[in-house]
Amino acid sequence: MNYITFLIRTAIEDFTRNKGRTLLTSLGILIGVLSVVLLTAFGLGLKKYIGDQFEAMGKNTIFLVPGRILSGGGFSGSASSFTGRFDIRDLEKLKEIKNISAVGPLTFKSTKIKSPLKEDYADIMFSSEVISDVMGFEIETGRFFDKSDVAKKTKVIVIGNKIASDYYGSPEDAIGNKITVGEIKFTVIGVTKSKGGGGMGGFDYDKYLYGPYTTGYTFNPDRKFIRLFAKTENESDISQVKGDIKKEFLKRYEEEEFSIVEPTELLSAINSIFSVLNLILVAIAAISLLVGGIGIMNIMYVTVTERIKEIGIRRALGARRNDILFQFLIESVALSLMGGLFGLVLAYAIIFFIQQLFPAYIDLVSVLLALGVSSAIGVLFGVLPAKKAADLSPIEAIRYE
Amino acid sequence: MIRLQNVWKEYQLDRELVFTALKDVTLTIKDNEFCSIVGPSGSGKSTLMHIVGLLDKPSKGHVFIDGKDVSKLSDNTVSSLRNEYVGFVFQQFNLINKLTVLENVLIPTIYTRKHLQYDAKEKAKYLLKRFGLEDKINSYPNKISGGQQQRVAIARALVMSPKLILADEPTGNIDTKTGAEILRLLYELYTNEKITVVIVTHDPLVAAKTKRKIEIRDGEIQ
Repeated sequence: MNYITFLIRTAIEDFTRNKGRTLLTSLGILIGVLSVVLLTAFGLGLKKYIGDQFEAMGKNTIFLVPGRILSGGGFSGSASSFTGRFDIRDLEKLKEIKNISAVGPLTFKSTKIKSPLKEDYADIMFSSEVISDVMGFEIETGRFFDKSDVAKKTKVIVIGNKIASDYYGSPEDAIGNKITVGEIKFTVIGVTKSKGGGGMGGFDYDKYLYGPYTTGYTFNPDRKFIRLFAKTENESDISQVKGDIKKEFLKRYEEEEFSIVEPTELLSAINSIFSVLNLILVAIAAISLLVGGIGIMNIMYVTVTERIKEIGIRRALGARRNDILFQFLIESVALSLMGGLFGLVLAYAIIFFIQQLFPAYIDLVSVLLALGVSSAIGVLFGVLPAKKAADLSPIEAIRYE
Repeated sequence: MIRLQNVWKEYQLDRELVFTALKDVTLTIKDNEFCSIVGPSGSGKSTLMHIVGLLDKPSKGHVFIDGKDVSKLSDNTVSSLRNEYVGFVFQQFNLINKLTVLENVLIPTIYTRKHLQYDAKEKAKYLLKRFGLEDKINSYPNKISGGQQQRVAIARALVMSPKLILADEPTGNIDTKTGAEILRLLYELYTNEKITVVIVTHDPLVAAKTKRKIEIRDGEIQ
């Protein structure tokens, strides 16, 4: 039997003798690790979710948004960013800018839509045919509206996958059927493939309907768009295009009346906000780790007092101060690590179930961090009690009853 | 050989009050002696044992082990010396109840810094067998009799092959018949293995069995 296994054997013996106490002490760390790991997992999930959402918007795309959206890297969304501002003249100007391959407008309408099966509120996105490419839509059945639909103001509509199954039973059953949007009847010409996502107020493209912006004028009598978008040929053109757009639009608008938003830029701004928020939450959760650590310290003091005689015997038989110190440190680390491990397992189980509803996941860093931090807590809060044990005088300890 | 030279041990009881447990003790215990330290309670015999056994340091004076002054050594060195040189046998047996008999005997080998020339476990088993405890190897100390516990303690004292066995009232907690067996066992260690055995006792009958009696009274050797 070597030194380490002997010490671990002693620790295990002690834990099994005081099962209830061991359990309760570890519970403190368990709760701490559980909350920190869960919050980190939610944070990571959220970040990934937002990233996916932006990725859906397509690469090399620039949006023009009314009002100031980004100022100094922070996010300052205002109500004005959802009121129509741009018109067809702006769109034409945008087309003239060098290195832009496609442009399009965007308006939204929230209204009641009706099929033979269902009647409820839904959102319709009115745009040009380019939106399909910009958003990366794929068609499951039927077709997307095209240039001539836009030119002829045809009353056709493409519906999201979810809308198709909710209002018609299946995508196939939707094609060719009429759908009433507000007061106007549209013909369903296509159903998009499911993109997933949604929830938490994010875009769920499967629950949208898409129509030509010219047809959309019916709902938008002053013909103003809340977004314009432009797609560049290459990623390297983005900054030049942004500069040119700004120059062009400043001719007509004040600087604070519009923003040029690049999704990746917006993504990093949003990410930085969530990171800070998440960090604060994790820091608050970490307080429970601290409390758990104090619990360990308390129990270790009790253990040392209970085992003064044993310490005396070990010292008489040749144990050095450090041997005693090490013995008690191993116990406090084992206590803490045990709590950490169970906390991690529990967090894993919870996340496994929660993943059905919410994008959360544990990465290797949080696993290592959880185990590292719980060991560190064991050392940190165990060292004082262990030192007390090590500094006992052998004779006084051995005489202790 | 152990030599105490002008050893004083004082305890600060109060800010003003000092209790002198040992007064200018000079004493030599040669190799392979079978001796007893006797005296009434409070005479200072326990303090003397603690200093001889390297559990305590004198307030003044020197302790020499095989000619080497140990009074100035670091705690680590003294711990190792205690581990290798001395084997303790206590009145209360002082076994650790949560460890098995075999594990108790192995404790000194866990803490040693010396490379053992023999297999510690084999040696422990051999000693336990020799003391008639082979069927108790995996028992826990509180499940065996007082006499058996004391024999486990002696096995533990012997596992490092020490030159000195210090027995503090080794028969104090067991019946006379078992006590006699324990004394015979200690005597065998002295005769067969040439180990120095020092028995601390207040029992004149026990002291009478030893070859030399060191009498202590009020902290002074008589």
